[in-house]
Amino acid sequence: MLSNIFNPKSIAVIGASRTPGKVGYDILENIIQYGYEGSVYAINPNASEILGIKSYPSLLDVPGKIDLAVVVVPSKNVIEVIGQCGAKEIDSAIVITAGFRESGLEGAKLENELIKKAKESGVRFIGPNCLGVIDTHSKVNASFAAGMPAKGSIGFFSQSGALCLAILDRALPDEIGFSKFISMGNKSDISDTDIMLALAEDDNTRVILGYIEGVSDGRRFMEVASEVSRKKPLIILKSGITSSGAKAASSHTGALAGREAAFDAAFKQSGVIRAHTINELFNYALAFANQPLPRGPYVAIITNSGGPGILAADACDKSDLQLIPLHKEIVDELRTFLPPVASFYNPIDILGDSGADRYEKALNTVLKDERINGVIVLLTPTAVVDVDATAMAVAHIASLIDRPILTSFMGKKSVESGSKILMKYNVPNYSYPEEAVSTLHAMYRYKVWINRQEKTYPPLNKLKEKAVYIFDKVREERRERFTESEVHDVLNAYGFSQPKSLFARTSEEAVAAAKGIGYPVVMKIVSPHIVHKSDIGGVRTNLNSKKDVENAFFDITTHVRNIMPAAYIYGVIIQEMIRGGKEVIMGITKDPQFGHMVMFGLGGIYVEVLKDVSFRIVPLSQEDAHDLVRETKTFPLLRGVRGEAEADIEAIERALLQLSQLSIDFPQIFEADINPLLVMKRGEGAVAIDARFSIGGE
Amino acid sequence: MISLYVGSTGGYTGKSLVSMGLGHKFKQDGFKVGYFKPVGILPIKVNTILTDTDAWRIYRALELKDPISEICPVVLTQELAVKSYRKDVKGLLAKVVKSHNFLSQDKDILLVGGYGSIYTGSFLGLQGIKVIKRLNAKVVIVVKYEGEYIVDYVLQAQKDLGERLLGVILNNVTPELRESVDEYALPFLKRKGVDILGILPHDSIVGSITVEEMNEMLGGKVLCSHDRMSNLVEHFLIGAMQVDKAMEYFRKTRNNAVIVGGDRADIQLSAIESGSVCLILTGELYPSEIIISRAEQKGIPILVVREDTYSIAKKLEKLSIRLRLRDTAKVARGMDLVIKHVNFPLLYEKLGMKT
Repeated sequence: MLSNIFNPKSIAVIGASRTPGKVGYDILENIIQYGYEGSVYAINPNASEILGIKSYPSLLDVPGKIDLAVVVVPSKNVIEVIGQCGAKEIDSAIVITAGFRESGLEGAKLENELIKKAKESGVRFIGPNCLGVIDTHSKVNASFAAGMPAKGSIGFFSQSGALCLAILDRALPDEIGFSKFISMGNKSDISDTDIMLALAEDDNTRVILGYIEGVSDGRRFMEVASEVSRKKPLIILKSGITSSGAKAASSHTGALAGREAAFDAAFKQSGVIRAHTINELFNYALAFANQPLPRGPYVAIITNSGGPGILAADACDKSDLQLIPLHKEIVDELRTFLPPVASFYNPIDILGDSGADRYEKALNTVLKDERINGVIVLLTPTAVVDVDATAMAVAHIASLIDRPILTSFMGKKSVESGSKILMKYNVPNYSYPEEAVSTLHAMYRYKVWINRQEKTYPPLNKLKEKAVYIFDKVREERRERFTESEVHDVLNAYGFSQPKSLFARTSEEAVAAAKGIGYPVVMKIVSPHIVHKSDIGGVRTNLNSKKDVENAFFDITTHVRNIMPAAYIYGVIIQEMIRGGKEVIMGITKDPQFGHMVMFGLGGIYVEVLKDVSFRIVPLSQEDAHDLVRETKTFPLLRGVRGEAEADIEAIERALLQLSQLSIDFPQIFEADINPLLVMKRGEGAVAIDARFSIGGE
Repeated sequence: MISLYVGSTGGYTGKSLVSMGLGHKFKQDGFKVGYFKPVGILPIKVNTILTDTDAWRIYRALELKDPISEICPVVLTQELAVKSYRKDVKGLLAKVVKSHNFLSQDKDILLVGGYGSIYTGSFLGLQGIKVIKRLNAKVVIVVKYEGEYIVDYVLQAQKDLGERLLGVILNNVTPELRESVDEYALPFLKRKGVDILGILPHDSIVGSITVEEMNEMLGGKVLCSHDRMSNLVEHFLIGAMQVDKAMEYFRKTRNNAVIVGGDRADIQLSAIESGSVCLILTGELYPSEIIISRAEQKGIPILVVREDTYSIAKKLEKLSIRLRLRDTAKVARGMDLVIKHVNFPLLYEKLGMKT
C-alpha cells in the first residue's frame, strides 16, 4: 500500500526551482544528495537544467514512466498539475504547497476542488501544506527538511511539520534511526489511518510513532489502531485537548465526560500507547525499537546511589511494575562480591565506589533470577566509576539476553560519551530514572495488550423489543427527556433491578402506597420540570410511619411550590428503601468523534468533585467492563476495606454491559445516568435507585 | 370594628408590605389591630399548626397575640389543591367567616390580606370579591405601578367594589415613571372619583433579595462565606465579557451578584475584587481554590449551580418580581416607606376613624 510514495522508481518534482533557498530547490536537492537511485525529473517551464538534471516544461513532456509526483507549484496551479498526473497515469503525489484550508475561505474552496480533481484523476496524495516524506531504506528524501535521519526502524507520521523538524533534529546527533518520516499536512486525502496501515505492513518499521491533533472519524481510527497495535507498537502523542466546553452538559455523565476522556478510552481500547509529551514519545520509541518487551511486571533496579534508586522504586510503585525481592541464592551470590553495607534487596544499591566490573557482576547475577523480567541500571557519575567502561559492560550484557535493559546514567557532561555508547548498542539511556521506569511500564502494558485474550461480547441482543415503543413515544412527542416511569420501564427491559415503587398524588395515597410497599420508604417528588430532585429538597428517605409520610408529603410539596411556583407537581413516588450496599454511578454519554461511551465511577454526592470516573467506548466487551470497574481509584472500596464484605462486582460489570447494549440499540440516546446504583454484597446484585435519560442529536 | 381588606388587581404588588406598614402605623396611633388572611398559598407549619408564611411574618412583625390557628384558616397545600380540582371542597367560606369573627373581637381594626388579585380564589369558592362582601370589609387596592395603563384595572375594581373601595396605593414607582403618575394617572383617577391613598417610591433595599433566599430558589451549593448569606443583592449581572470591561461594569453597579460560568476564573476574580456581594457559578463547574479563598477573605458567598448562565438569569428575573418580605432589615425599611408615603389623614377620614 502506498508503495509508490515510499519506494518509487522515479520521481518528478513539479515546481523545481533553480534558486537555492526556495522549497522547489531544496526538495530536488534532498532527493539527489541523499543517494536516491531511481530516475529524477525536474519540471519547470523556465529552465532547461536544475542541479544537473534535465528540466521539462510540463509533466506531460517527460518521456518515461513516473511513480511519484512531488508538487511544489503555487496553490492556484496545483489542481492543473494533479490533472496532468492523471493524464500521465501517476497514482501517487505529495503536495507540499501551502495556501489551502489553513489559509482561509478561498483556500478551503481550492482544497475541495483539489480533492475532487484527485479523485477524478485517480491520484492519492499526501498533504497539501506539508513538509514531505522521507524513507531511509529506499533513500527517498522528498522533503525540505534539513538533513536525513539514520536508517532505522521507527516510522513517524505527524500532523505538524514543525514537530517533524524538531524530532528529526533531535534524532540526528544521536544517530537515532528512522524508517519513514511522513509529514501529513492537511490530510485531505491520505489520512492517519491510511498511514498507520501502511506502516503496519512495512517490513522496515518496527515501531510506529505519531503526532495527531484530532481524528476525523473516531470509530475508524479505533478499528485501524486495534489492528495495527496487534502487529506493532503504536505510540501516539495527542494534543489539542480541551474539555471545558463539554463540562456544562446537563447530567452527571455529561459533566464528567470530555474529549480527553474519549481519546483516553479510545487509546486504551485499541492498544495505542499514549505519550503525553514529546519527550515521552521519544523515550518510548527508543526502547520499543531497540529492546525486547518484558514478559512480566517484575523489575530489578541496580544503582550506585540511594536517592535515584528510591526515586525509581517510587515510580515503579505508581505503575503496574513490581520490584520483587531476589531469590535467596541470588542475594547470597551478591554478598560474595558486594561490600557488606550494600543493599541486596531490590533496588540493589552497589554503592558509590562501584566500578564497571562491579556493575557487570551485579547485572549478570541479578539476571540469573529468571523471575526478573527487566532491569533498570542507574548510574550517578562518581569520581570512581568509569562511565564508558560501565556503558560497554551493560551494552554487552544487554545484547546477549532477551530481556529489556534500560539505563539512566544521570547528569550530562560526564556521562555524554557513555550515553553514546549505550545508544550505539541499542540500550536506551535516559536522563532521569523516572523516565526509564515510565518507558518500561509502557512496554509492559503493551505486552499485556498483545497477550490479551480476544474480546468477548456477551449476547444481550434480545432486550431491545421491550423498549422500542418507549423511545418511539418520546420521539413522537418531540421530547428530549424521559419521564420517571419511562426510565423505569427501559431499565426494566434491560434487566436492571429497581426498588418497588408506587405513585401517589395526595398524602392519603402516599400513606396507602407506603403501607403496600412496607416501611421504611423513600419519597421523591415527580414533576416534569424537575430533573435533579435532591437539589431542591425533593427527596426524603427513611420514612418509618404514617406520620413520617404525611409530614414528608407536606414538606416536599410545599418546598417545591415555594421555590418553583411554576413547576407542575405531578405527585410523589413512594419507593422501597434499599438498605446497605455501596453507591456507584454509571452512565452513557456521547462524544462527537467516538460516539457513545459508558462511564463508571464511585457514586454519592461527591462524585462531581472527586471526578473518580472512567470511560470506555461502546461496544464494551466483557474485558472492557472488567477493566473499567478496576480502573477507578476507589475500586478498593468495592473490594471491601477493614473486613467489609466484597461488593457484587460481577453485577456492576453486567450492568455496564447492559448499558453498552442499550446505547447500541438506541443510538439516539444522548445521555443517561444511573445515580446511584446500589451494589449489594457479592451474589446479591445491584439496584438502580435513580436514573435519568435523554435523547437527541440523531 | 372595621375590616380593611388589602387587595390588588394582580399578584405580587406589595400587599404584605402595605399591610405591615398600615398595621404598624395603626398600632402607633393607639388602635387595637389584628391581621387575618382568608386564603394562604405559602404553607408553613408553626409548632405543627398549618398556616401561611406571609401571614405568619406579618403576625410577628406586628407582634400580635391571637391564636396562630385562626390567622389563616384556608391554606392551599398540594393536598388541598389536588382535592379541590378533583371535587368541590365544602365549607371553606364558613371557616373563613368563623375565624374572621373570632379575630374581630376586641379589635378596632382588622387588616384582611388578599391573595393573588381580588378576582382569584373562585376555584375554592373564595373569590376575593365574594370574601370582601361576606366580611363586609372596606378595601384598599395596592397597584404595582408599571405605566398609565394600570388605571384600567383600578376602574374595573371601582366598578366591582363600589363604595367599599376607599382608594388605591401605588407601589414601586420608579423615578422614571414618577412623571407618568403625576401627569396622567393621578389627575385621571381623581376625575373618576378614585382617591390615591399613597405613592410608594421604588426602593432598592426593599426590592433586594438575600443571598440565602436566592440560593434556596436556585438549589445551589454554597462554597464559602457561609456567614454572609444575608448579603443583600440589588442587581444581577452576567459576566460574559473581557476582564477589563467587566471590572468597569461590576464597579458601577451597587450590591451586585455576578452570574458567570464556573470556568471563567478571570471574571470571577474581577467580580470579587470589584466588590460584588455574591458569585453565582453556572454549569456545575467548581472554581479553583484561589478563588474560593479570596472570596472567603472578602466575605463573598460563592454559589455553584447546575444550570447554564441564561437559564439562571431567567430564573432570577422571575424571582425578582415575587420578592417576599423576610429579612428584618428589609421589613423595617418597608414599613417606614409605607408610613412615610401613605396619606394617613385621608385614610383615617375614609375609614371614619379618629386618632
